[in-house]
Amino acid sequence: MQEIKIILYLCNWGPHVAFQTLQDQDYLIPPEVKMVRIPCTGRISKALLFKAFEMGADGVALVGCQTGTCRYGRGTDNAAANTEDTRGILDLLGLGKERLRFAAFLPEDVEALKTFLFQFRDDLRRMTASPIRPGGATAAAPRPGKALAAILAEHHVSACQDCGKCTSACPLALSGKPYSPRGIVNSIITGKLATEAVIKEIWSCLTCGICFQRCPSQVDFPAFIRDLRAHVAGHDNGRGPAHGGFFQSLMRAMTAGGLQPQRWLDLPQDIEVNPHSKTLFFGGCAPYFDVFFRRHQTVKTAAVLTDSLRLLNFFDVKPALLSAEKCCGHDLLWSGDEANFLRLARLNTEMIRALGITEVITACPECYQTMAHDYAAHGIETGFNVKHIYEFLEHEIDKNAVAFKPFAGRLTYQDACRLNRSEHMRAFPRKLLQRLRPEGFSEMKESQNAALCCGNSAWTGCDAYSKALQVKRIRQAKETGSNLLLTSCPKCQIHLRCAMEDPFRGDELRMEMKDLTSVIAETICWE
Amino acid sequence: MTTQQTKKNCEVIITGFGGQGIVLAGRILGMAAALGDHKESTLVQSYGPESRGGACCAQVIISADVIQYPYVTIADVLVCMSQSAYQKYKEQLAQDGILIIDQDLVQTDGKRECFAIPATRMAEELGRKMMANIIILGFTTAVSQLISRKAAEEAVQSSVPKGTESMNIKAFTKGYEYGLSKLKGREKKAEGKSGAVA
Repeated sequence: MQEIKIILYLCNWGPHVAFQTLQDQDYLIPPEVKMVRIPCTGRISKALLFKAFEMGADGVALVGCQTGTCRYGRGTDNAAANTEDTRGILDLLGLGKERLRFAAFLPEDVEALKTFLFQFRDDLRRMTASPIRPGGATAAAPRPGKALAAILAEHHVSACQDCGKCTSACPLALSGKPYSPRGIVNSIITGKLATEAVIKEIWSCLTCGICFQRCPSQVDFPAFIRDLRAHVAGHDNGRGPAHGGFFQSLMRAMTAGGLQPQRWLDLPQDIEVNPHSKTLFFGGCAPYFDVFFRRHQTVKTAAVLTDSLRLLNFFDVKPALLSAEKCCGHDLLWSGDEANFLRLARLNTEMIRALGITEVITACPECYQTMAHDYAAHGIETGFNVKHIYEFLEHEIDKNAVAFKPFAGRLTYQDACRLNRSEHMRAFPRKLLQRLRPEGFSEMKESQNAALCCGNSAWTGCDAYSKALQVKRIRQAKETGSNLLLTSCPKCQIHLRCAMEDPFRGDELRMEMKDLTSVIAETICWE
Repeated sequence: MTTQQTKKNCEVIITGFGGQGIVLAGRILGMAAALGDHKESTLVQSYGPESRGGACCAQVIISADVIQYPYVTIADVLVCMSQSAYQKYKEQLAQDGILIIDQDLVQTDGKRECFAIPATRMAEELGRKMMANIIILGFTTAVSQLISRKAAEEAVQSSVPKGTESMNIKAFTKGYEYGLSKLKGREKKAEGKSGAVA
């Protein structure tokens, strides 16, 4: 029998006393248990809980003090909440929530702690081993990252004329950050890549693409940054990715071949799917986001997926779904982990091809860009066509006798960078918006090819300047006099909502926000 | 529609302003029935002062047998592309007949159900306002099932000016698909599924 690995995060205070008593009394503690002594369970974030699974643990126990005995006040409550959220993610991922447990003990609960540990070990023995192995997921396989000279040549970086149009348009620079794309290019060309300051800046870029739009020499700065990140992987901005790297961990864990995610289990009954269809609906990571953020925000990004499916059904398309669907790999690709991006891309492509799919429809701008363009650009032949739901909807609405229920709302629209600049897809959402016949529609001060980013991309580089950027964007939305802000990307929803819930600003930034697909689904009807 | 299919002959009035291509639409309809579907058909066209903007009218009869009398007294299908034409001809439509209108140009009295299509607007979007007649013909083909799609497309191709065939077929398809979707929408509504969200 393969030995199982259990990580025990053990609080320094209450339960550690009980644990020590067990050791003093020479009780045999299950040898599978690897204990990590920590100051407070409340500081073990979701990222740290999940990290253990990414590194190959079969089970994780978070053991703290009982409610009311926490030395720091809210530690126990935080720990219980983090555990509950991470368990939700483990369920979606197909790993099973039973592998993660939270328990609380008083210093004298020696017998209870012993029973808990043995019980957990025995339960885990009855389960199969976790399919996530550090060898498969995080091994430092020879990086496909290119040599610096090759990166510089490929992106024609030396064509930079040092004109400064990029810096004057860069949303980070405009929100006050001392940040300059041309400055970075100059430093790297002159051989200063390895300096701390430059590496920090490489990880700060939002990859929104407005600099590429403005560059007279057409230097694709975001793509340059993407390749540089793979090149300098391992050296980050000193703070690591946002949310403790939870999402990168999650996506790396998904590269485990044997993992069978259960992401479509809670699909509403009225949605019709057909496993034999040649059209696949690719959902993306929204359900994971909703679980992760459920305590912070009223984010319901997974509703976009059910609304998309309802719209497909409305037009008599009953798509296939991939129950073991993995992340498309966008965030890994854009945060320097090309090796695991390629693993995800291959896994998804193989699964989709095995179903004989000819067309993939997705509602996520990032999945769209990644599957439609980046897979092929990285040498992965998909053999299927990828379409964004807006393209599908525009075509069907144009062809069919449909109408929209009267919609009382003055709208404005937040462009998604992956649809807007990278893909010249910005016309589709606007055509659809006009079809809705809203009470009013006004563009924000900076829109379309000048649109401001929601503040973050690929879960990297979140800082005070991202926040300033988000505040600026929401103010622009409010200045239009609109009462509903429409978005296209689940991440715009998450990031803008985060800024809106800033306790220091009260209700100043609050604004109703919805996804365009959901609004279409709610109002569309047969004529 | 079942009435049209079981009845031996079907009488159609297409009407609108002069210059909308009303007579051409009638001609294509009749040609499709005769040449493509191998039925009998007649066309009576009335124009004159109407060609300067009055109500213009094309009367088509399609029949499996020889047609003895080419004038339409009670129409089974009435296609209206102007308000004045609608006012003038609405009483000539049979009780169970089909009323087809350009929804942006005609406001009905609401006394009966009709099939509405924004044909002129669609033609403008396609780039040529004058193709509204072909769009409404496609729509009529779909909702009335008087003639087959294949016969209609062949007739369109042979009747429109050289060089505009593909554009006209595009217009015809647009109207035809819109018609099919109208029928589908009615079915869905009857099942109680009018929107996407239950």
